[in-house]
Amino acid sequence: MADLSTAQKILKRIQDLVRELLQDIARGSLPVISIDRFIPCDSLTDGDGLSVYERCESQERIALKGRTSTQRIVAFMRVLLIVQGLLQQEKHASKRDVYYMDPRLFGDQVIVDQAINDICTKLKCARSSIHVFSASKGLVMGCLQYIDQGRLVDCSRHRLSGFPIPTLTDGVTPMSEAEYILLVEKETVFQRLANDGYCMKNRCIVITGRGYPDVPTRSFLRLLVNALHLPVYGLVDADPYGLDILCTYRFGSLAMAYDAEALATPSIRWLGVFLSDVRFHGIPVRCLLPLRENDKRKAEAMLKRQYLKIHAPLWWGQLQELLSTGTKLEIEAVSTISFSALANEYIVSKINNLQFL
Amino acid sequence: MALPHQSTPFHCQAQSCTADVIPPEEVRARIEVLAKHFLESLNSPNPSISILSLVCRTTESTQFQEGFSTGSFTYLSRAAQQKKSFTQLNGMRSFVKVWKLMQIVYELLQLGKKATQRELYYRLLADSPDYFRSQQQVNDTIQDLVALLKCSRYSLGIIASSKGAVVGRLLIEDESGEVVDCTRLGPSGHIITADLGFLEGLRFRSDARYILVVEKDAIFQRLSEDRYFQSFPAIILTAKGYPDLASRVMLYRICKAFPGMPILALVDWNPAGLAIICTYKFGSTRMGLEAPRYVCDVKWLGLRGEDIELLPKEALIEFSHKDHQLARSLLASKMLENREAYKLEVGKMMEMSKRAEIEALYAHGYDFLGHYITQKILRLQYI
Repeated sequence: MADLSTAQKILKRIQDLVRELLQDIARGSLPVISIDRFIPCDSLTDGDGLSVYERCESQERIALKGRTSTQRIVAFMRVLLIVQGLLQQEKHASKRDVYYMDPRLFGDQVIVDQAINDICTKLKCARSSIHVFSASKGLVMGCLQYIDQGRLVDCSRHRLSGFPIPTLTDGVTPMSEAEYILLVEKETVFQRLANDGYCMKNRCIVITGRGYPDVPTRSFLRLLVNALHLPVYGLVDADPYGLDILCTYRFGSLAMAYDAEALATPSIRWLGVFLSDVRFHGIPVRCLLPLRENDKRKAEAMLKRQYLKIHAPLWWGQLQELLSTGTKLEIEAVSTISFSALANEYIVSKINNLQFL
Repeated sequence: MALPHQSTPFHCQAQSCTADVIPPEEVRARIEVLAKHFLESLNSPNPSISILSLVCRTTESTQFQEGFSTGSFTYLSRAAQQKKSFTQLNGMRSFVKVWKLMQIVYELLQLGKKATQRELYYRLLADSPDYFRSQQQVNDTIQDLVALLKCSRYSLGIIASSKGAVVGRLLIEDESGEVVDCTRLGPSGHIITADLGFLEGLRFRSDARYILVVEKDAIFQRLSEDRYFQSFPAIILTAKGYPDLASRVMLYRICKAFPGMPILALVDWNPAGLAIICTYKFGSTRMGLEAPRYVCDVKWLGLRGEDIELLPKEALIEFSHKDHQLARSLLASKMLENREAYKLEVGKMMEMSKRAEIEALYAHGYDFLGHYITQKILRLQYI
């Protein structure tokens, strides 16, 4: 199994790291760990905007000097020991579980989270390969079967609710005859499609991350795309937060910048909704809601992202339109056309007419 | 036939009111009766606009009934009625809103469709922008309609999302004959659908001896991943915090299918944990009319005051202001009146002014949680 060999590799890297530190101590100097640093590209003034997050040239060095640094290196070593245990025993633990293994030492969950990120950055591995998981909240349904740890999961059954996205994607092998993957922002929209039997009438896979997607959801989407080579269409609200969620799927997040390759899905397209749907799909103009203060602030902050302007100029343009008109549109507004308009007409016609960005 | 007084003609028990899950034809019939009644009053020798009578949903009208065989529950008293009238000074808008919502719900039911609350908001915004300006107003009107027609939101065709999950030694068979084996699922278990009609049609088979209700998803996943139910015959259920109606219905149906199985709750040691147990045991005023039907005799297994000595001192967290408030209101509530053991627990929490999470047990190692649960059950240490 692929899982075993990655575990072996990581265990070796841990041993190598510890050996280096011991050699430092043997030489009489303080042990120091150098960790790569990531910064978002919109803060770079002369960046070429080609990547979302860049590794800095300078590295962070944590050592037994000064209170914060000491705390960080101690937490790093303690979590490393726990991770080694997990890998050797072939078990998994959540971030909260790790905290509770030594609450006196850690003091706070945040310290544990930082240590986990540091370890992944230092060992140059994905979060899932150190066997630390976070409970997944995503759902999936549709024309998909996969084998998860020896069990066959058939997502085309259970028309009324989705299947939970597996917490660990290693070793999951998907099989599908779907034509595309539909990504929806909100759970209520997912439920609406489930209720209307969307997956029975259309050969597709529907996924939701229930808001900002967590690591397992993004990982699962990437896995499906890699294995099945299907187009991915995103259905989010036409507001800054909806677009931000779509960007998280497409480009990744700062917190998990080291894992972008496994977690970002660059091929994702924005299917809807757009402000222009009011004109082209007969949604009443009254359904355009005004942007609130926090929406405006979010939109302005997002417009500064260089990578968005360069890699997804049409998305950037939509964001500008939101600000200039001062309005936003939610997916549920489509139901004013008719109750099942979303499932029966809107999505299908948009895909067939290639009306996505 | 003229009705003795202008109130809703639907039958309810002498004291308590419940919102039932009723088929769409009957909901439509109830709406038609109201409409007919409205027209009759308008057409009568003394024309008037009929008044809508709703069950009052405030804490004052909440009663607590101690039961012996049926279990205790909170309910809303029928005696307290709230009247909505067109001619009342501030009541006009509220009156009209209920009728407008009724129109949309009727259409929804006639088409055999369902909608989310957000979709209803947009529909009402498009049709009647002067009356419905925010989602909150729509939600309030929906609650009014539930209180008026005395049927659950589900019966009105409103889709809710599912929160709960179940795993363990349980076979679930639905009406189409499909069987789900809850021992052969991933760590997230089997999601409990929010479709109450579907839940009512399920049949169960099990060789478990206990039902474990777990507050948090992470604990549920841990027990599921460790396959706790293979070494100890149990069904494990979670609603990820305060249970929604669907999770309560599922628990109710399982416990009615297997009457001898004790239901044991595993919650954090804090006032909110006890409040969650009380919601399963007695229902809640927030759920109002939907409360009394699905109560189950849930017992408190852990965490409890006696377990605190097992935990490292650092794992105890300071009480917040909200914790104090909740603790005080629990102690003062009728639910705990005759339950000394529960009052003692809350008392101890307040005295120490600290709370603890179940995960703190991991300080003793991964396997300790399963060991802890099994020991407590075998020693009958639940209240």
